[in-house]
Amino acid sequence: MTPGARESDLGRTGLIAVAGLLIMWEALGRLDVSMFVPPVTTVAAAWWHLVGDGTLTRAAASSLVSLVKGFVPAAVLGVAVGLAMGRFATVRHLLDGWVNALMSAPLSALVPVLIALFGIRDTVVAATVFMFSFFVIVVNTLTGVRSTDPSLVEMARSFGAGEFALFGRVYLPSALPAVMLGLRLGVVQAVKGMVVGEMLISLVGLGERLIYYGNTFLIAELYAVIASVLLIALATSQLAQALDRALIRWK
Amino acid sequence: MADVTAAPRPVEIVVDGVSKAFGTVQALNDVHVRVRAGEFLSLIGPSGCGKTTLLKTIAGLVAPDSGRVVVGGRTVEGPGRECSVVFQDFALLPWATVQKNAEFGLLLRGVPAAARAERARGVIAKVGLAGFEHAYPAQLSGGMQQRVGLARALAVNPQVLLMDEPFASIDEQTRRVFQDDLLQLWSEERKTVVLVTHSMEEAIYLSDRVVVLSPRPGRVHQVLEVPLPRPREGAGVRATAEFARLVDDLWKVLRKLQ
Amino acid sequence: MVVVLRAASVIAFVLLWEWAARVPISFNFPSPWATLTALVALLRSGAILSATATSLQSLALGFGIAIAVGVPLGLVMGVVRPVGRVARIYLDLLIALPTAALIPLVILSFGINILSSAVIVFVFSVPFVTMNAYGGVRDVRPHLVEMAHAFDASRWQVFVRIVLPSALPMILAGIRYALSRAFVGLIVGELLLSPFGLGRLIMASRSMFEHDRMFATVLWTLLLAGVALTALARLEGRLLRWRT
Repeated sequence: MTPGARESDLGRTGLIAVAGLLIMWEALGRLDVSMFVPPVTTVAAAWWHLVGDGTLTRAAASSLVSLVKGFVPAAVLGVAVGLAMGRFATVRHLLDGWVNALMSAPLSALVPVLIALFGIRDTVVAATVFMFSFFVIVVNTLTGVRSTDPSLVEMARSFGAGEFALFGRVYLPSALPAVMLGLRLGVVQAVKGMVVGEMLISLVGLGERLIYYGNTFLIAELYAVIASVLLIALATSQLAQALDRALIRWK
Repeated sequence: MADVTAAPRPVEIVVDGVSKAFGTVQALNDVHVRVRAGEFLSLIGPSGCGKTTLLKTIAGLVAPDSGRVVVGGRTVEGPGRECSVVFQDFALLPWATVQKNAEFGLLLRGVPAAARAERARGVIAKVGLAGFEHAYPAQLSGGMQQRVGLARALAVNPQVLLMDEPFASIDEQTRRVFQDDLLQLWSEERKTVVLVTHSMEEAIYLSDRVVVLSPRPGRVHQVLEVPLPRPREGAGVRATAEFARLVDDLWKVLRKLQ
Repeated sequence: MVVVLRAASVIAFVLLWEWAARVPISFNFPSPWATLTALVALLRSGAILSATATSLQSLALGFGIAIAVGVPLGLVMGVVRPVGRVARIYLDLLIALPTAALIPLVILSFGINILSSAVIVFVFSVPFVTMNAYGGVRDVRPHLVEMAHAFDASRWQVFVRIVLPSALPMILAGIRYALSRAFVGLIVGELLLSPFGLGRLIMASRSMFEHDRMFATVLWTLLLAGVALTALARLEGRLLRWRT
């Protein structure tokens, strides 16, 4: 759980703040404060160029494929495991130690292990994405199931609901908001995993481009890639939020 | 599958020597109560007297340690089709509309969609919520939410209606209107009703008999008859001397238990 | 019963690991025992301890400054509302960005040294410390402030006696979360930076195909992070005893 961080709010204040930042950045760049702070316009030009010759699109495509390959299994498996853990105490006691420990652990330390397992291939990126997002999804799903209002369970029982009906008609809908929260947080973690994984294997994708431009001192291009990564992060986050709002109308 | 369209005949409830302990607390100890078919009975008593536990035992939600409950000639072994429960905190599914909430009991009993919808619409109208079918619980007041709870309970055509302090979370004015509406509905379709309440006035106003339970351990302390004539709704019963006397008698009994 | 299940899951994990080491999916997967012996050897030779010391230096530096900067900044943001409203946009963006993307930039700007590592740790952890301090101040119950004013408290007194204690749980939670982020930044930074600390040890062992040493170091790193976070959680529990 990310304590304190609210959803990014791009209201009027947001646009003014971002505009202000860009203006200041341009000014600093023009004043040549540091070779590591190029003007916004130079970055924008580099970005445009990279889109034009396909580098950025190829890298982004590869990154997004890895993202999907890693996140979808994490979501499906994560919700399933979370539901099982929430519903069955035995499963919960078996797994919760691991889940809690791994959720706040520096999972990037395990990426070299993944490389040892899979070799230097893009599968490692998908595996990193999976790893980063899986535990958050499990924990939130589990919490959702566990916080089902017991009086609703009792009510359903009084009308003769069996185990299946209880699960499908009470526990599951009750847990849905928490599951969606887990998926939203999971997407954010997934994007981070995507970047970390790609940077560590340095083979394909946006992460590889970051390492490359860093090594070759192409600062403007480096900023351009960072901006692209930010855009993808924001876009996926907004997408997840929109899905959340669409599914949960009763609050 | 029980026929959910025919009017049910009310049945008798026999609580036969029921005892129940939770850990070291003896909630009920050898309780004997007989509720006549079609009777309106209230359970009242100080905190810890086991009235809610007794209601849940009749509902089949709690299994007694010893003794048994017989509803309509059949021993209770779990939640059954004869009884419907109305809960103090309404227990409405927050993600479902009024219509879907009212259909819930029918859904669980396998009634097909069209029949469900029609029957639910009927009971929703009966409890006075026509037009609110597509509202969500969060948009409704407490009184309205409880009406949905009542609709849900009535939709499955129970022979017994069990109510666990149904009006406790509702303000007094709304409560009085609701009580009259309840009596009206009950007079149209006689069921055996067992109501748990904290309010002496409510117990006397609604019931044929009032069972007073004493705590630690929970057992039947006294049973009071309420010979007030029916119908009572809208008849100014609360203003009569007889009503006041009955409430006072009840209070005298309860005061000794405090 | 719970204890039995927990123990069983640990045993199952070790057995699974042992099995994975024997199955020829990848020739470089060390067994639990090999990992353990490698860990002991690394401890004996002092390699892992000196790497840990280097890593912890960067961590302490970066994280310490993050707290020293983040908490006051967050408090100011909470007290001076316009500043808060604007600054949080920047922080939200920073939090949304996968921070690892900034590592090459930091390395370029600060070079390949401990300072870089510390800056990376700082960037990873400061947004959360700040946002939580901000949130803590903002979420102070207006009731309590009202009450203090009714007793004629000065602005400073309200801040010190109402706002700060109210905000403390959130600040501490933010610090605890930021520490886990700091470890993430530390490890990713070192894995990429190479010449330093535990990250270097991991990467060096990997490139020399000494997988048992690599696994041992990874295990050690995870345990280190776990211990640090648990210790902080205990401290937090002690400081917030009134919260039962």
